[in-house]
Amino acid sequence: MSSVLNLQGNHACALAAIAAGCRFYAGYPITPSSEVAERMSLELPAVDGIFIQMEDEIASMGAVIGASLGGAKTMTATSGPGFSLKQEHLGYAAATEVPCVIINVMRGGPSTGMPTRPAQGDVMQARWGTHGDHPIIVLTPWSVEEVYEQTMRAFDLSEALRIPVVVLIDEVIGHLVESVDMARFKAVKPVERKWADSKKQGFQPYAITEDFVPPMPRPGDGYRTHTTGLTHAESGFPTQDPETGQRVISRLLDKLEHHNKLVESVEQTDCEDAEVVIVAFGITARAAQSAIALLQKAGIKAGLFRPITLWPFPDQSYASATRNARLVLVPEMNAGQLIVEIERYQKDGTSVVGLNRYDGEAIAPQQIVNKVKEVLQNA
Amino acid sequence: MSEIQIRFSGSGGQGLQLAAKILASALALEGRSISMSQSYEPTSRGGLSRSDLVVDSSAGYPLVTEIDYLIILDQLAVENSTGMIKSGAAVIVDNERVDAPPPGEHKTSTLPLVQTAREVGNIRAANVVSLGAIVGISNICAQKSLLQAIHDTVPSRFVDLNLEAFKRGYALVSANREEDPHLTAVS
Repeated sequence: MSSVLNLQGNHACALAAIAAGCRFYAGYPITPSSEVAERMSLELPAVDGIFIQMEDEIASMGAVIGASLGGAKTMTATSGPGFSLKQEHLGYAAATEVPCVIINVMRGGPSTGMPTRPAQGDVMQARWGTHGDHPIIVLTPWSVEEVYEQTMRAFDLSEALRIPVVVLIDEVIGHLVESVDMARFKAVKPVERKWADSKKQGFQPYAITEDFVPPMPRPGDGYRTHTTGLTHAESGFPTQDPETGQRVISRLLDKLEHHNKLVESVEQTDCEDAEVVIVAFGITARAAQSAIALLQKAGIKAGLFRPITLWPFPDQSYASATRNARLVLVPEMNAGQLIVEIERYQKDGTSVVGLNRYDGEAIAPQQIVNKVKEVLQNA
Repeated sequence: MSEIQIRFSGSGGQGLQLAAKILASALALEGRSISMSQSYEPTSRGGLSRSDLVVDSSAGYPLVTEIDYLIILDQLAVENSTGMIKSGAAVIVDNERVDAPPPGEHKTSTLPLVQTAREVGNIRAANVVSLGAIVGISNICAQKSLLQAIHDTVPSRFVDLNLEAFKRGYALVSANREEDPHLTAVS
């Protein structure tokens, strides 16, 4: 039988979660993410996993954290308004370093917005939706195949680094059906959590280790542990001591910096000598990919910089990709969010221009081509 | 193979998503690569609904930009496709539900798609009558593949109805081809 499947993005997400070892899903269905929950409800019982539809998004995020502390690989899926509700517990997962994967299939906003229409309005919410200085990883697939790949990777990063990972998908990619060759995923081995195996006497659940990732105590192994959203010392118990607070929060934030090579993931197309670099993710990057081919035909040196890992933003790769650029165009299906991050790295001689659409339709390749030509003509 | 872009459009509840799904399934049987996307309203009935297929994409862009084959089963879907129809495209509109087809340099044919579904026994089969018309015009896949896809996709109690709807849609094209030279493949 052929290994090529006609697969929907949301279904790819569910299948990848199962392949990565996810055995617990709690959620509250919401368009356009509902097919993730639907598919998980079919797949999980078949692998002795647990699917639970909770009373709301807050409770489902709580259940995901609890199950992860209990030793399971866990996931939930939602969209804009539901993602807002998950933020409180998302911060708790970041602070307590509980691995979990959150799928956000973006729809039009603000508030309940346009439920069936695509948008990319959660760029900043994914980074800063929960309060306080917290580490988070956000991945942005641009195809059904990459939804599968990046969902698996989300589990691997989450388990390896003890950090919540958000997979940020737009409605177009979530509902898109593409022919995907599954053969390459057969041999992929998921990453497993680093469990504590040190002496039980004097165990420190949040000890500062060389790799900044403290091993987790496995329930039943007999370690004494304590989990709290309050700022906690290496012992796991709350502290208000300034020196300790500074030290433990620094360790939490340094963890991502230390593992930057593992976390960063970008794709660059023809950026080396590009005068025009388009920065885009998700379906908008697919449009940009088509657009650079059209621009190159018209004699314009155009390239595409695609941050697959959107947060932490891959600043050094971005700087290198745009070193020869006169124009950086940032098309996004929102009123200008990613561009705010890009502007932080703006240098003399390069103009940064946005192309924004928030009417519930995707940005088309020709729109990007037209915008580039318009800006170059007026320069 | 060169890229082909197909759109089924109308109002919510006319089975437009299913039509594209059946065609995608038939094309998969023949080893063709597809991208299928859609747009619909939060309501389960009414409002603009469309389902798009890009077959054998050359540029890697999964959404339609220049439609080769377009089905319109309701007037409210006309505006949404205007400006995206390729010059020379085959546009098929329903004779009851579409009064003003999209203007432009394409080949428009008006066919009794809904009426044919009614004759087959269920007005909701207009989607599969349309599929018959699309396959009849474009020869995009073998009839056999499409009949198999119907078997694989629709609930068993509706298989016979849909097979009949498909054949009648296909026959509509061959019966009208002499009078209507528009009912030919897009070159």
